[in-house]
Amino acid sequence: MNRTRALLKKAAWSLFTILFVIVLNFFLFRVLPGDPARAGIRDPRLKKEAVEMLRVRFGLDKPVINCFESLNPIKVGSCTVNPMETQFFIYARNLLQGELGFSYHTNRPVGDILAERLWNTVLLIGAGQILSIIIGVIFGVFAAWKARTTVDFAAVITSLVAWSLPTFWLAIILLFWGSNNGLPLAGKATPGASSLPFLQQWGDIALHMFLPTLTYTIVYMGEYTLIMRSSLMDVLSEDYILTAKAKGLSAVQILKDHALKNAMLPLVTVIAINLGFTVAGAIQIETVFSWPGLGLSITEAVGRRDFPVLQGAFILIAVAVIIANFLADLTYNYLDPRVETE
Amino acid sequence: MKQKLFYLFVLAALLLSSCGGSAPAAVKVGWAGSPDSLNPGMAILTESYTIFELVYDSMYELNLDGSFTLTLAESVERSDDGLVYTYKIRDGIKWHDGKPLTAEDIAFSYNLYKDTPEYPYMNGYYTPYFETIEATANNEVILTLNEAIPNIESQLVFLYVLPKHIWEGVDKLEYENVEMVGSGPFKMAEYAQNEFIRLTANKEHFATPPKVNEVIFQTFENQDALVQAIKTGQLDMITEMPNTAVETLKNAENVEVVVGSPLAPDVADIIFNQTEDENCPKDDGGVCTGHPALRDRDVRLAMAHATDKQKLIDVILLGLGAPGLTLIPDGLGVWYNDSIKDYEYDVAKANKILDDAGYLDTDGDKIREMPDGSRPLTFRMSWPSDSLTSPRMAEMLSEMWAEIGVTLEMQAVDPDALTALCCPAFDFDMMIWGWGSDPDPSALLYVYTTEAIPTGSSETGYSNPAYDDLYAKQQTALDFNERKDIVWEMQKIVHDDVVYIIPWYAQSTQAFRTDRFTGWITDQAKVELADVTSLTVIEPVK
Repeated sequence: MNRTRALLKKAAWSLFTILFVIVLNFFLFRVLPGDPARAGIRDPRLKKEAVEMLRVRFGLDKPVINCFESLNPIKVGSCTVNPMETQFFIYARNLLQGELGFSYHTNRPVGDILAERLWNTVLLIGAGQILSIIIGVIFGVFAAWKARTTVDFAAVITSLVAWSLPTFWLAIILLFWGSNNGLPLAGKATPGASSLPFLQQWGDIALHMFLPTLTYTIVYMGEYTLIMRSSLMDVLSEDYILTAKAKGLSAVQILKDHALKNAMLPLVTVIAINLGFTVAGAIQIETVFSWPGLGLSITEAVGRRDFPVLQGAFILIAVAVIIANFLADLTYNYLDPRVETE
Repeated sequence: MKQKLFYLFVLAALLLSSCGGSAPAAVKVGWAGSPDSLNPGMAILTESYTIFELVYDSMYELNLDGSFTLTLAESVERSDDGLVYTYKIRDGIKWHDGKPLTAEDIAFSYNLYKDTPEYPYMNGYYTPYFETIEATANNEVILTLNEAIPNIESQLVFLYVLPKHIWEGVDKLEYENVEMVGSGPFKMAEYAQNEFIRLTANKEHFATPPKVNEVIFQTFENQDALVQAIKTGQLDMITEMPNTAVETLKNAENVEVVVGSPLAPDVADIIFNQTEDENCPKDDGGVCTGHPALRDRDVRLAMAHATDKQKLIDVILLGLGAPGLTLIPDGLGVWYNDSIKDYEYDVAKANKILDDAGYLDTDGDKIREMPDGSRPLTFRMSWPSDSLTSPRMAEMLSEMWAEIGVTLEMQAVDPDALTALCCPAFDFDMMIWGWGSDPDPSALLYVYTTEAIPTGSSETGYSNPAYDDLYAKQQTALDFNERKDIVWEMQKIVHDDVVYIIPWYAQSTQAFRTDRFTGWITDQAKVELADVTSLTVIEPVK
């Protein structure tokens, strides 16, 4: 009973956080200086009237919110305007209806753009996370079991180096290496591959994924190895492990049945946090390899001041982080029933 | 071990992905951008126009020497008063979906552009002179203007002709036009936004059927990858590269680098805020806080003499540019006045000009003061923070101008914020910025006019009635040579008045593989390998 209540409370907090992000997200971009309708366009052919038309089309001609015409510079306006005629409430209403607005840059619905991109990111991050978790856990277990031997030393050094490599640098090095080995350097598929049979299409995508996934795996595997190692070493020094050893259990049995489950707890936390953030965190990898994911959308949108896309992406990321944390909490309960909220 | 695993993986993926049949003659083009929209009314980026040029036809084709050729029409007649143009459309032209293209489609398209004020470039620039557009039963288009203009070609060249049977049924603003049914030498086959565009040849094109089967444009967000991809043969041509890569690629095997004026030149400018109080557009938000010294031609002239343009080009562009004169770049061909002699780099002369004009350093701090001693020649200098070249340029200018007792307070500013400071607020002293351009000079000549001050197009606040008169005159001079003379005269005036310092006209750098396709057009005044002129004539190397 208690647990259900705690979970409900957590869910309510998550929901509240999301609402807060939605509001913050709106005002964050409205306090930025300048006028997005004319940003990036330096062309004598673009006349004042045309810019005004763009503003109307994007809804930028409306007051930001009751009492404020604009927030940068702060311009006080009428407080009695119909709230549904202000940018904030239009944004809120559209959001409730699941609409994220239109990109200033491409005129396309933001929802469509992000949906295409999200899937690509999930594919890349998913493959990268799974690989780095598997490799990280295996390395970590080996290192902890063989603590203070050459194996351990080698694993720790490799992990530290991998963890501290600058992502974009590693990506570019791998890009140069890959280009000499005939690997594709950009995009997620060969143009025209969509007409190929299913298996060949996936082979093509796998080829395109190779370099970005490898980069991702190297960068994250080190972190997981180190966490797994130190957490497992803590557990292995516990008395009950000594007991297990005394009972004559094999190494595999001790690790599998007694140590690993307890040692997973810190790793789950880190993985959950990473999962949430990596929706955006693959920005560098996606940019170097032109991987059409969310991270790339964000880079492009920042460059073009495409606020609707940025807003949409930020909301998506915030929701992902919050949900990932919520799921991590749930997993704690499973991994360690002692973890009781409150 | 890892090596083995890797090759196993590659082998497996290759087996899965290799397709049976012989590869078609597909030209793989790499670029760093991608179209913003495929709707010809809504698009702004040049990448969009590159694709439109290939997939659509328009009344005229812009050649690489800056001239125009009639394409959709076989002949045109202009009425004596210059107001009515009658185009006889070629018979037998077909849309990619097989339906015939007629005068009806052209009249429909022009009316669409004219009647959609939301299309950013149309009513403001390309269609304001259109009175009526009608199609006759005789497959003719009769275009009536409200004013006789000299440059109908450049007004029509970017008005792509759209199929009426598709466009009359769609929302003209929101239609994304991914199917892109056109009549041009290439057909849209596959579009993945920000990833790639795959075009197939329209071998039945009436004028320029391509010899290759496919052209693929692939977006590379990372320019190092772009360069690496052509080096290793993954791409056949790249439309851009960092200037730092030019030397490497020149030495690469089977790669040829082409350098020249871009088809759509961008002009970099160093802006002086010289707005006089009586011209300050107060009703449009003008605050006009410019330094008074910059209203003095002598100060601007001295700064021009103290600017070593060649050094700027050598250091910042690695030599890939030509010293600039006015906003009309050399890439505009006949319109560019190449007879103007630029101010030579001569620091002693610059110092003498300032001495003679009374700007002296009275307090010995190495900075000159106004003749009345009121303020030093310290100018605020800003540039858009997303510019790669400006920070270096500002730094070098600051060093060069220190030699003549001028100092800069330098600051990179977000482009939005810079627009707010710039125009029509005129709340700055100097800026480094730039313009895109049109094949016709009037777009950039307009920027210098008094009329442009309140609109935000004028960045300098420059006002010269004689120039304004000439601007109006060239707008209606129907005789080509007469108009050319006026346009040249206007460039002379603004150069004499030192309205801007134009540091350079940057060159476009592209490269292609010599072992894949042959016939790229590289000997013209402008370089654009992704233009129809090249893509319709190249053929696979045998």
